[in-house]
Amino acid sequence: MRKITLAALIILLLAAPWIIAKPFFVHLMIMVLMWTVLGASWNLLGGFTGQVSFGHATFLGAGAYTMMILYLKLGIDPWYGIIIGGLVAALIALPIGYICFRLRGPYFALSTLAVAEIIRLIALNWESLTAGPVGLLITNLPKVSFLGKAINWESKTPFFYIAAIIALGALFATAVISRSRLGAYLLAVREDIDSAEAIGINTVQVQVAALSLSAFFAGLAGGFYAMYLRYIEPDAVFSIALSVEMVFIAVVGGLTTVAGPLIGAIFLVTLGETFREHFQVGHLIFYGFFMMVAIRYMPEGIWGKVRIWIKKPVTAGNPS
Amino acid sequence: MGQPVKMETFVQSVVSGILTGSLYAMIGVGLTIIFGVMRIINMAHGDMVMLGMYGSFWAYTILKIDPFLSIIIWFPAAFILGFLIYRFLLKKIVPAGELNTLLYTAGLSLFVANLALFIWTGDYRTIKLDYAVIPLRPFGIAVPIPLAIAFGMAIMITVALYWFLVRTPTGRAIRATSQEPEAAALMGVDVDRMAVITFALGTALACGAGVLLAPSLYLYPTVGEILVAKCFVIVVLGGLGSVPGAIAGGVLLGLVESLGAVYVSVPYKDAIGFVIFLLVLLFRPSGLFGVGKS
Repeated sequence: MRKITLAALIILLLAAPWIIAKPFFVHLMIMVLMWTVLGASWNLLGGFTGQVSFGHATFLGAGAYTMMILYLKLGIDPWYGIIIGGLVAALIALPIGYICFRLRGPYFALSTLAVAEIIRLIALNWESLTAGPVGLLITNLPKVSFLGKAINWESKTPFFYIAAIIALGALFATAVISRSRLGAYLLAVREDIDSAEAIGINTVQVQVAALSLSAFFAGLAGGFYAMYLRYIEPDAVFSIALSVEMVFIAVVGGLTTVAGPLIGAIFLVTLGETFREHFQVGHLIFYGFFMMVAIRYMPEGIWGKVRIWIKKPVTAGNPS
Repeated sequence: MGQPVKMETFVQSVVSGILTGSLYAMIGVGLTIIFGVMRIINMAHGDMVMLGMYGSFWAYTILKIDPFLSIIIWFPAAFILGFLIYRFLLKKIVPAGELNTLLYTAGLSLFVANLALFIWTGDYRTIKLDYAVIPLRPFGIAVPIPLAIAFGMAIMITVALYWFLVRTPTGRAIRATSQEPEAAALMGVDVDRMAVITFALGTALACGAGVLLAPSLYLYPTVGEILVAKCFVIVVLGGLGSVPGAIAGGVLLGLVESLGAVYVSVPYKDAIGFVIFLLVLLFRPSGLFGVGKS
């Protein structure tokens, strides 16, 4: 039964741009899917290990810049660029992890904030590589044919499918990890890091693994973001606000769950983008507001709350 | 490193570092007392500075009050605002642990900053004072007048605060709570009341520093984002929870930034602070002077 529901939902998702073809709606769905990836990415670290990162924009930015630089300087196609961007972000996460995981709790959070700011400043000033505050611009995407038809990059539909594939991948990865040995280790770290250490878990190593995996998906999302917008500059992809948005989507949607980031993204991004359509600025008011509401009244998030209501057996090690 | 720099340039950057540092210190002291007493890492602290800056701006443009005088209105107003924020928003969250309060105040920060963005738009604003066009030039060193006045007032406020914490019964109770909340409670200190007072006082200090900073900086709603990051640098440098540490940390960051701009590089001056911050967090988590709590 659950498999059928899941398959039906995926088919509905993939058919969505044909059902409602309004450009704003397709744009909204693309943004929801991209933020689902970012929320899921943050959840892999924050939800499973309980370590709050305020610096995930680093990985988004690394993915975005990798894809852009590879395409503009070496002519590597954006889809390879997106994947390489994810790998670069995962690599960058290794040293960051080994440094920052020496700290715990709020101190870890502050250290990630500092690292993200340092990297933003490097991107802003390393002009030979990143063009600094001027930013990088793609004027046209390469011609590609799919099933014998040339893909029309002026339409938003192809971007929708790329975003959908990445988002499904991120959610699938979360589901696999939550059932894996690594997932169990991570939850052990979250519940009691000293006991986890005592029973022989290399806590730094498993946390770095989680961070690296998390960074991979944030990097994919970053590469996609750059390809979709065709223009990036350091403050657009490395800002503290982006890091914070990821945190909020994951927390409001429901930490440690598979569907939580999707629910969080549907809820917050829809509100935010609709608000932006009408008022241009200040669309993150709702993010802040619902974050406060969530922490105060339902720290398990929207999806966590729904799961309690529909009374599925809920255990920390078996999220669905 | 580059070419040799003249002595005057050195003195000049030390002076401007100390001037800015005094205001950093004032903001940092607010953050550190809040952490000391309640263990709240207040991500919204920078937004309180932002509100103070706008308060100063509106007092000047609408009420025609000198921005520095308007601190008489805004300091008590911010005290009340801090009281309300703690009483109605934070009080229930604090027992849920440091990470929850961190996330909660991050939510508050985004909410306040975006509300400001929505109401006041993202336009950059400045306050132009008639008496502040030409800088003072004692001994050939340029001292901008607004920054000099802000420096003087920040010192007065910080000294007054220090006197309050050291000499008054309430101040002593606050310090006792900060050192050992349980022991303080057993000695008859109303820990809850101290928490409210401290949060209100910390907010008033942040807002007050914003009022003083407004004539020297550009105003925009998301300025708090950068300020809060600097605040953490200051407070961690001095040791979390330590008032003298925050003052020293503030002046130190001011100096590091202004000297870094001359001797290292202008674009990376902000990064130096963060690098030092990381090194201190990793190797001296109780601060450079070893007085903070980790």
